[in-house]
Amino acid sequence: MSRLWRFVAAGLALLALGVGVFAQDQPEPSPAEEAKKQRQQLLEQGGGILPSDLYVAQGEELFKAVRGPKGVSLEGCDFGRGAGQVEGVVAQLPRYFPDTGRVEDLDSRIRSCMIGLQGFKPEEVKRSEVIAIAFYLASLSHEATVDVRLATPQEKRMYALGEELFWVRAGPRDMGCATCHVTYRGKRSGVLPLSDVVGEKVAAHWPAYRYSNDSALTMEDRIRTCYSNLGMPAPDYYSDAVIALGLWLAVQSNGAKMDLPGFIR
Amino acid sequence: MEIRRHLWWIAVLWAGFTLSQEGPFLQRLNEAIQDGGSAYARDLQQDADQALCSRYRDRLPPEAVEPFLQRQRSLIRYPAGGRLLGDWKQGEALFTNPRKGNCYACHTGDPKEKGAGRMGPGLVAYGQRGTSEAVVRFTYEKVYNAWAFQPCSLMYRAGVHGILSPEETAHIVAFLLDPASPVNANARR
Ligand code: HEC
Repeated sequence: MSRLWRFVAAGLALLALGVGVFAQDQPEPSPAEEAKKQRQQLLEQGGGILPSDLYVAQGEELFKAVRGPKGVSLEGCDFGRGAGQVEGVVAQLPRYFPDTGRVEDLDSRIRSCMIGLQGFKPEEVKRSEVIAIAFYLASLSHEATVDVRLATPQEKRMYALGEELFWVRAGPRDMGCATCHVTYRGKRSGVLPLSDVVGEKVAAHWPAYRYSNDSALTMEDRIRTCYSNLGMPAPDYYSDAVIALGLWLAVQSNGAKMDLPGFIR
Repeated sequence: MEIRRHLWWIAVLWAGFTLSQEGPFLQRLNEAIQDGGSAYARDLQQDADQALCSRYRDRLPPEAVEPFLQRQRSLIRYPAGGRLLGDWKQGEALFTNPRKGNCYACHTGDPKEKGAGRMGPGLVAYGQRGTSEAVVRFTYEKVYNAWAFQPCSLMYRAGVHGILSPEETAHIVAFLLDPASPVNANARR
């Protein structure tokens, strides 16, 4: 089964590239329409299977496999609703976990369980595996309602940090998240419109598949991409800085119905 | 380089000042920034006016505006020899290069450029303003330090941060103002 998936994945990746190149010659429709059209095309070409489905399948395999020095699967991982509970968990992350003493997002929690439960060393945790597992969990939170609460002092502190980081102007390009995504929301930066990350409840469609370059990204990847686009060094993966920003964004998205995995340009 | 060292000291003093003012929160913020990695932490070092823009969310209280503009004006440097109008061809490359001016991210310029952003005002036919001393000077100073005219503008201070040297800034001024530059020549067609 898994070999078949990989084969289909490679084929679809090639197709996605072809579609991307083709799309550039057309006049620009709105990003939402464009995404819908691309999704339809990919679905037809894949015989009803989207590239993101393949990440989900790969993630499920990794999640259920007995792995690591301790020889257990990730099925015993507690994502906030108790060990083994996986339905809807993405809608309630980030949150505070007493066992690690940290506020963790989806990426960080997967990694913590790979380390704590399965016994991997931190440097053995592969980013590509974390992303695939994140996609699997995301698929089990599709249509759940975003409900991220600030119940503990730790969560309240991280939220305040996220808000502060969101408004910081810094670096050689005097940049900050809010300057683009609040003050200049809706305007075009190059060919892409700046999304209103507060009003549009964007956290509801992450993790997401990006068809323009056939990649699978989590919220951490997306936040880091913003920094790179501004010519700034991004905060490290799994760092408090990137988790705090993710928490702040997730709370702005409370009440939205999740569309997972997201499908974006 | 000297300006940089200057800014660094302002940043250190400012950090000390705000820390002593607001205590634990800023300390935690600083910890989170450090936790984001050393390169990230280095870039999030703020100078005093970046810190003001952050604190007031890009809208300064009226009494803070004039001192802010004055501080920013004092950071502007000029090319040796004082020629503020350079070579538009070199200016075009600098205007376009994402690692230098990166101006197309936010502005139109040569009307033939398709990927131009629309966050800033369009610059097609900017040369219609002529090349009087006042126009040249304003354009030079605006490109070198946008914050000397509009506090906390989205447009970054390319000259102040050393992304554009004074000579490079003068080339960009020529790209905007020279009648032969595509910004103006292509606009007439
Ligand atoms: C991140 C977006 C951004 C970038 C990059 C940027 N600008 Fe701007 N620019 C703006 C905005 C927004 C304004 C209007 C607000 C202001 O005056 O600061 C502006 C204003 C201007 C003005 C004044 C226009 C007028 O009619 O008075 C000029 C000239 C200008 N920019 C040139 C440039 C040049 C040259 C570059 C590249 C070196 C550049 N800008 C890069 C956003 C940007």
